[in-house]
Amino acid sequence: MSYRWFPLMTALAAITLAGQALSPAVKTANTGKTWTPPRTPDGHPDLQGVWTNNTVTPLQRPKAVGAKEFYTEAELAENQKREGQRLALNEEEGLPTAAGTAADVHYDFSEFGLDRAQAKLVWDRRTSMIVGPEGTIPPLTPEARKRNADRAAKAKGHEFDGPEDRPLGARCLARANVGPPILPAGYNSNLQIVQGPGYVALEAEMIHDVRIIPTDGRPHLPANIRQWGGDSRGHWEGNTLVVDTTNFTDQNPFAGAQNLHVIERLTPVDKDTILYQFTVEDPGMWTKPWSGELPISKIQGQLYEYACHEANYGLQNTLRGARVAEEEAAKKAGK
Amino acid sequence: MRTRLFIMATAVGLLLAAAPVWAHHAFAAEFDQNKPLKLHGTVTKWEVVNPHSWIHIDVKGDDGAVVPWMIEGGSPNSLYRLGFTKESLPAGTEIIVEGYQAKDKSNRAVGKNITFTDGKRLFLGLQAAESAPTDKK
Repeated sequence: MSYRWFPLMTALAAITLAGQALSPAVKTANTGKTWTPPRTPDGHPDLQGVWTNNTVTPLQRPKAVGAKEFYTEAELAENQKREGQRLALNEEEGLPTAAGTAADVHYDFSEFGLDRAQAKLVWDRRTSMIVGPEGTIPPLTPEARKRNADRAAKAKGHEFDGPEDRPLGARCLARANVGPPILPAGYNSNLQIVQGPGYVALEAEMIHDVRIIPTDGRPHLPANIRQWGGDSRGHWEGNTLVVDTTNFTDQNPFAGAQNLHVIERLTPVDKDTILYQFTVEDPGMWTKPWSGELPISKIQGQLYEYACHEANYGLQNTLRGARVAEEEAAKKAGK
Repeated sequence: MRTRLFIMATAVGLLLAAAPVWAHHAFAAEFDQNKPLKLHGTVTKWEVVNPHSWIHIDVKGDDGAVVPWMIEGGSPNSLYRLGFTKESLPAGTEIIVEGYQAKDKSNRAVGKNITFTDGKRLFLGLQAAESAPTDKK
């Protein structure tokens, strides 16, 4: 697949998922009961800890599921069983790829501990994270379609010119899962929340990004200051942390979005679960706002530092590979 | 046999869905699908670095000459959670690597599968860490 459009990978991933599989899901975190979370010394709900949003629930609803928003408990149990069976097979048996194809140029995820089912999964009965009868990202506006097509046309043939032409993820700069909205990363889908007076800090293990969210009522940055992760401001509504994020660049997490606005709601629903809800809007990008939710579950242990720049040999190898190919083509043309 | 096939078919569907399509980089852009290889070598160093670990091995050719290779492997974070540590792969370990060579034709490759000489998979069969599948709920 083309990684030129890395920031749209979330959407691509969901489309891929939609075309391929039944999606398991589970017990919804919303039990209807209100749980009273412990408080921090300054009196706010204490959300601190290490959490995972590792899930099998796709962002967008698979076509085959239709308008059904939730699986039944029986379907959920079946999906869980299947996920266990899948992991019991290693990748060689479970997903035989033909030697000499691009799909085969990859390592066995289960061997390297990268299969999502090798980490704690948060189960939910939802058929997709995106809520509502459609369960999909709304269509792009005509202007967004044109903008994206123009961008793609301009980039064509220059994908390997230099590091700036590689996707943000391959450059260790940003990953769409960090968002906001925060979405599962595929592997190392973990995050840590730390609170202090007037601030909530949210660190995503992939790729070692910390979002510092002031909760003291200060205004957003001036509109001309744009950041890959936007500019977040939080406030408390009862037990819910509400985070409003603006000031995104047009590169991340949804490439082409010019005026992205994300609202997140983090509500502790029991001692091990936060219900994470989000709404995404940009009238110049999508024909209407869209919302999603997924439970986030507490895990033991700690985040490991994912210092992506530490040894990003992959980027060197890719660019050097392109230079070698160019030299060979030039030599051939010269003869 | 039929049951087995059914399970496999189901598994294939789910696995496609499971493969992290947002893996760090496009492997096919870095490694060459036309250059599959199988190397039998001795570990000289394991770089437990992000975003991917790299195993350095010495491979002895038919002519007796030793050629060093670098093999790309999984994310250290995930391997740590599987129970693997820096000490788990000491220098001198003999391994067999099946993978693909880098497009720049250097002695670098992605290690699709890495096995010990007895066929056992290198990173499997470890003591599961806290976030193992059994922790599911």
